[in-house]
Amino acid sequence: MNRIIFSATLCSLLILAGCSAPREYYGLSGGKGSMTVTSRDATKPGSTTLDAKTPVVMHDGDKARAADINADQLRGKFALALEAQPLPPKRFTLYFVEGSDILTAESQAAVTAIFEEIKQRPAPDLVVVGHTDRVGSVAANDQLAAKRANTMREQLIKRGIDAENIQASGRGERDPLVPTADEVAEPRNRRVEILVR
Amino acid sequence: MKQFRYSLAALAVAALASPSVPAQAEGEILFKPWAAGIKVSKGTVQIIHGEKTYAGRVGAKLRENDVVITADNGSVGLLFLDNSTLSMGPNSEVVLKRYKYDPTTYLGAFDVEVKQGTVSLQAGDLADSGPDNVRVTTPQAELKGNAKQLLISVGDSK
Repeated sequence: MNRIIFSATLCSLLILAGCSAPREYYGLSGGKGSMTVTSRDATKPGSTTLDAKTPVVMHDGDKARAADINADQLRGKFALALEAQPLPPKRFTLYFVEGSDILTAESQAAVTAIFEEIKQRPAPDLVVVGHTDRVGSVAANDQLAAKRANTMREQLIKRGIDAENIQASGRGERDPLVPTADEVAEPRNRRVEILVR
Repeated sequence: MKQFRYSLAALAVAALASPSVPAQAEGEILFKPWAAGIKVSKGTVQIIHGEKTYAGRVGAKLRENDVVITADNGSVGLLFLDNSTLSMGPNSEVVLKRYKYDPTTYLGAFDVEVKQGTVSLQAGDLADSGPDNVRVTTPQAELKGNAKQLLISVGDSK
């Protein structure tokens, strides 16, 4: 009896591991980077790398390995998923008067274009990111960048955008548009970026 | 600024629950943002949030641990705070297991479980701040790395 149970168990294990396991495919669809693919089943450990050299990996329940289909064949399975991809965010950059959270005259005029873009989107939300140049300490610039972003956020709320749909944050001097040495005043880095998404 | 970023990494991991709050306001969570918004929705799409289930319409917001399910006529496109996108074809199910994002440093974690179906993932700013920030779990495997564009198919009959 034991033997029957054992062989029945072994058999179902083999079925689970082999032909009846739902097959999985993982693919890189362009862009850079790589992924390590590791089997979750602790009784069959193993891993492989998904990268430019092996852009499609499959898992058949037993192990992860280079797939039996190429990247184009894989892509064919994703027509509807790819069709549902959201529009890429549109980025607007507004500039500030030095050391302040007041927009330059030109940038005040550019705000109109942002509202035009908002109208184009079905469920728009905004991300406002403040930046500074490298004059002043990192900590002070983090505060100034956050202040610029928050000022902009408040203005957008006043103009009718739902507060829940505007995220504001500061990146300080980490992301200069024009790289400079420390303590260099650079008007093009004193900016907020507004992503209409 | 490299050194500063690395020392921040440890801090940020500890403070991930309130990532956008400046250090002086620690512990005081002013605004807990959502993780993603639905930008595209076709056919039948459902969101499971705790014990509630609701329709995954355009404009709906998703949070950590929410489950997104598409029917055989459904597809859906999500946009995350860091500009990552995730879109799902028909008969798909995804759990947003973990989403942490610090918009100042771009540090955080992105961890989704693809239980079924076809899922296209385009990593946003998060993928740039750490080698293993993007994580996908499927029934058979765990994928970890910094790839920007991924396709995941689970339950392929062919």
